[in-house]
Amino acid sequence: MSSQKKRSSRIEPFRHRVETDPNFFEKAWRKLEDAIGEIYNHNASGLSFEELYRTAYNMVLHKHGPKLYDKLTENMKGHLQEMRTSIEAAQGGLFLEELQRKWDDHNKALQMIRDILMYMDRTFIPTNKKTGVFDLGLELWRDTIVRSAKIHGRLLDTLLDLIHRERMGEVINRSLMRSTTKMLMDLGSSVYQDDFERPFLEVSASFYSGESQRFIECCACGEYLKKAQQRLDEEAERVSQYMDAKTDEKITAVVVKEMLANHMQRLILMDNSGLVNMLVEDRFEDLTRMYSLFQRVHDGHSTIKSVMTSHVKETGRNMVTDPERLKDPVDFVQKLLNEKDKYDSIVTTSFSNDKSFQNALNSSFEYFINLNNRCPEFISLYVDDKLRKGMKEANEEAVETVLDKVMMLFRYLQEKDLFEKYYKQHLAKRLLSGKAASDDSERSMLVKLKTECGYQFTSKLEGMFTDLKTSQDTTQGFYAASSDLGDAPTISVQILTTGSWPTQPCSPCSLPPEILGVSEMFRGYYLGTHNGRRLTWQTNMGTADIKAVFGNGSKHELNVSTYQMCVLMLFNLVDCLTYRDIEQTTAIPAVDLKRCLQSLALVKGKNVLRKEPMSRDISDNDNFYVNDKFTSKLFKVKIGTVATQKESEPEKMETRQRVEEDRKPQIEAAIVRIMKSRRVLDHNSIVTEVTKQLQPRFMPNPVVIKKRIESLIEREFLERDKNDRKLYLYLA
Amino acid sequence: MGLGGGRVRFNVGGQVFDTTTTTLANAGRDSMLGALLDSSWNLAPTISGGGGGGGGGGVAEYFIDRNPACFAVLLDLLRTGSLHVPPQLPEKLLYREALYYGLLDHVRAARWGAFDGDRLLLAASVPGRAPGDGTAIRAAPDGGCCVAHGGAVHVYNWMLDERRPVSLDHSQVNDVAYLDEGTLLIAARERLGKYDGGLAVFSAVSGDLHHRFRVVHDRQAKSFTAGALTFDQDSNIFACCKGRFNEYGIGVWDRASGEQADFFYEPPGCALGDADKLQWLDATNALMVATLFPKTDNCFIGLLDFRQKNVVWSWSDAGTAASLDDKRVLHAIAMEDERSVCVINQYDDLGFLDFRSNAGGVRWSSRSKLMNRKVPGEESCYPKLSTHGGQLFSSMNDSISVFSGPECVLTSTLRRSNGGAICDFSIGGDRLFALHNEENVFDVWETPPPPII
Repeated sequence: MSSQKKRSSRIEPFRHRVETDPNFFEKAWRKLEDAIGEIYNHNASGLSFEELYRTAYNMVLHKHGPKLYDKLTENMKGHLQEMRTSIEAAQGGLFLEELQRKWDDHNKALQMIRDILMYMDRTFIPTNKKTGVFDLGLELWRDTIVRSAKIHGRLLDTLLDLIHRERMGEVINRSLMRSTTKMLMDLGSSVYQDDFERPFLEVSASFYSGESQRFIECCACGEYLKKAQQRLDEEAERVSQYMDAKTDEKITAVVVKEMLANHMQRLILMDNSGLVNMLVEDRFEDLTRMYSLFQRVHDGHSTIKSVMTSHVKETGRNMVTDPERLKDPVDFVQKLLNEKDKYDSIVTTSFSNDKSFQNALNSSFEYFINLNNRCPEFISLYVDDKLRKGMKEANEEAVETVLDKVMMLFRYLQEKDLFEKYYKQHLAKRLLSGKAASDDSERSMLVKLKTECGYQFTSKLEGMFTDLKTSQDTTQGFYAASSDLGDAPTISVQILTTGSWPTQPCSPCSLPPEILGVSEMFRGYYLGTHNGRRLTWQTNMGTADIKAVFGNGSKHELNVSTYQMCVLMLFNLVDCLTYRDIEQTTAIPAVDLKRCLQSLALVKGKNVLRKEPMSRDISDNDNFYVNDKFTSKLFKVKIGTVATQKESEPEKMETRQRVEEDRKPQIEAAIVRIMKSRRVLDHNSIVTEVTKQLQPRFMPNPVVIKKRIESLIEREFLERDKNDRKLYLYLA
Repeated sequence: MGLGGGRVRFNVGGQVFDTTTTTLANAGRDSMLGALLDSSWNLAPTISGGGGGGGGGGVAEYFIDRNPACFAVLLDLLRTGSLHVPPQLPEKLLYREALYYGLLDHVRAARWGAFDGDRLLLAASVPGRAPGDGTAIRAAPDGGCCVAHGGAVHVYNWMLDERRPVSLDHSQVNDVAYLDEGTLLIAARERLGKYDGGLAVFSAVSGDLHHRFRVVHDRQAKSFTAGALTFDQDSNIFACCKGRFNEYGIGVWDRASGEQADFFYEPPGCALGDADKLQWLDATNALMVATLFPKTDNCFIGLLDFRQKNVVWSWSDAGTAASLDDKRVLHAIAMEDERSVCVINQYDDLGFLDFRSNAGGVRWSSRSKLMNRKVPGEESCYPKLSTHGGQLFSSMNDSISVFSGPECVLTSTLRRSNGGAICDFSIGGDRLFALHNEENVFDVWETPPPPII
């Protein structure tokens, strides 16, 4: 801490040792020089290491370090110059071999020289910041040989020429290549990079630029990619065989740039063989290759994705807007499913299940499926078809798979409520007509919908199942309670909860007296057990089994709808009835009656009635008779109703209107929910929030939302802010 | 060549040694013995005259024209890994022989053990050649040291041979630091009108000047006086600087390029340019600066953040110390956990300041009961502090106290009978060097190699 004044420092004089032999250095150096000569001549066996080491030690000890170092440099340079002459003299292919041989010799010699001069390496060299003996030897080799005027260019040309020949398919001496590049690496990474790697990459770039140009003119995309892949593999293999591992990345980048990146657009969009073609023809192998190759190119995958997306959207749009296809809803949906399957398997197998590709695919499907507003109906019809025919399908597992796939499509739907509407209708039909093939499948579909859309979505559908179950019990209860029914027809009543079922209000037809009696008894029983309920007969939805004996004596059991039953029962009393008679007696709505008569009289093989005149249309004055000539191979004859599965145009309009009507309270509820929590909000925010809330079910139209807001203002749920008209306030 | 079964026979200066190739392999290929046995020097096993010289009776032996006594010691070192030097064998001779065989690093590693403040033994007392009182002593990472006094720095290697002294224009040396074992950083005073002094890097081996650091103010190079020094793990060198025109502050240079990287100008109330102690805190990423009595009347300790260019923590005794008898902070060191700074006063009391709070003064812990306290006399030196491996060291008068554990309990005292007051000490290269004020001598304390059992 306390420092005194500086005094001049006193340094002890440096005393040199007195040289005894004035020629000591020359003699000693001659000894070493001779030894080094012997070492280079492969004649080191006669040398004594101990003696040489001691000599070098003494030279350094006697302060001859600098002189020794200079002499050594000079001496090694001399030996290397000799080597250079012999390397330069080597002809053609022997050049590399000679270079290699001399390099090995030099290395070996260098090791031994360093051993001799180890003491100098440890003491003199670090103190004087000189290059160590071994590194000095490498530097001299580099400057005297590798970078000498005659060898530098020749070495590079030889190497590049060999690589070119190998690229053209010749077999070259790889071990020689390996040892040569190894030599360059040993001389330092900068030597390897400057004297070999950089020119190599340049030559490779121009080689592949030319080759890719040639290929792209004459090859199809798939073939081109195969070649590019092959070239990449070759280069990687080449690097692993005889180059520095760090070159791998660089040469790969060159090949990718020249062969792929520069031609990316052209390759992907190539006519007749590009990406679109591969997709259409399901060329998985090519697609896989394209995916993996363009992974290396910046923007590669996004380009593939966008081309694929636009192709899928395009074909999808054509598919859903083609009026021909709309004729058969089941086939239509099947086509969609097939399309989905196809692309799913492409993404899975060829695009390594890439999430971003899956997303692109999903958004494309979502885009085009919602282009056609009948899709919800069709999908529901498809499910209907599958569940009806369930028994015909191989097993329930198969049905399950189909349902899973349908759910995929369902997810794309924006108007899920519309689907619900249709699904309810179709389910009702299935359940009431007893055509629901498998209860398990039906329930599994419900579970799927429930997991997808939540409890509310399926609560009514589930209600339908419960109704059926209770109806069964009620019917049993009815028969158990009433023993005095005599031989009245057996009835099976389905009690449908209003609201759960897609019922249309319809005036019930006049039932035949036999039926009427028993059904009135049932009404009495039911209302007796359940207080405060109201029963309405939905005669348009029932079925009946009736036994018929025809004039020719054949007996059959006919499975018909309630309406048809009513008509047929009339013929128990008379032989001939006109249309008008039938209409008046049964009070069946005209449209339904006509349809029902058509199916009774005009369907070949099931015509239990005969019509006069025999025409397709039914007019008011037509006469109907029992067809005594009716025959059928089957005892049980099922008489279907001539009905269009698909909705007719007016029905469609009606359904849509109903859906729109149903949406109104939902939108209002959403608005109120939002406003209740936010109190004050501007118009745009409400629209966004409402859309977000309702998106899982349908896409609300902003105009409709605006109308609902206005309606809520009228009903004093909301009011506009007095200062800022854009703001709405919630009125508690 | 050998005796078969991996046995090897040496004839060293007339004495025969039999050993095995496995023992010799411990020397490594990069040693004279390693090269001697290497296959490239032993091409033909039947040579009698060459190779290693022929012995009688068909048994080949290697002849080495060196001292057999030293060879015996070194061979034992290779066999056992530990060094036992017979008392009659001069150490310098052994070192020279070890250098010949390329085994000096082995000797260095076996010479003394890993540093432990509680097991230190006095290994050597080296009389200095300083013309005046020493300023500072610094330990080199390899076990060497340097002593600064006046205008020169005397450099010693780990064998305690003196190398060429280093000086920066023979200006008064203020501080010195080892950047690594071969590189010395010297801070020196500027003499009026001579544009000398400042900060420079030297080779510790040859004593050559490598680079001189410059300070630029307003794009103009200025001469300056450099004070306390330190450096961080990356590449920055820090030094207190005093320029001619009140350019006081902390200069920062890049070690690799040698260029000035930054300058922290002295804010009012923080005496940075005159600091006694700089210490880089790695975890905190800040520089501790301590400016202490008697250089200034008021002590100041602060933490500087160079990224924000602000003082993130500071403490000063301005206004608290009235008379000379009050406790004065005379030295400071940041503890290794970088949570607090330890300070010492003229009564040898240790005190602590917490970096995490800006209020609170020094928590003094009086040692008067433990220590046989002498009233500081005229001849005494100011105390110094140092930390190493979880231990705290403080020098007072002629002894160094070692404190261990989180509570800093006094565990050892190092004292030499006739040394005089210790003016500075330093720990490094597993050694402790203590510079004595009066007799111009420095002591070397080492931890002996671990016991045999």
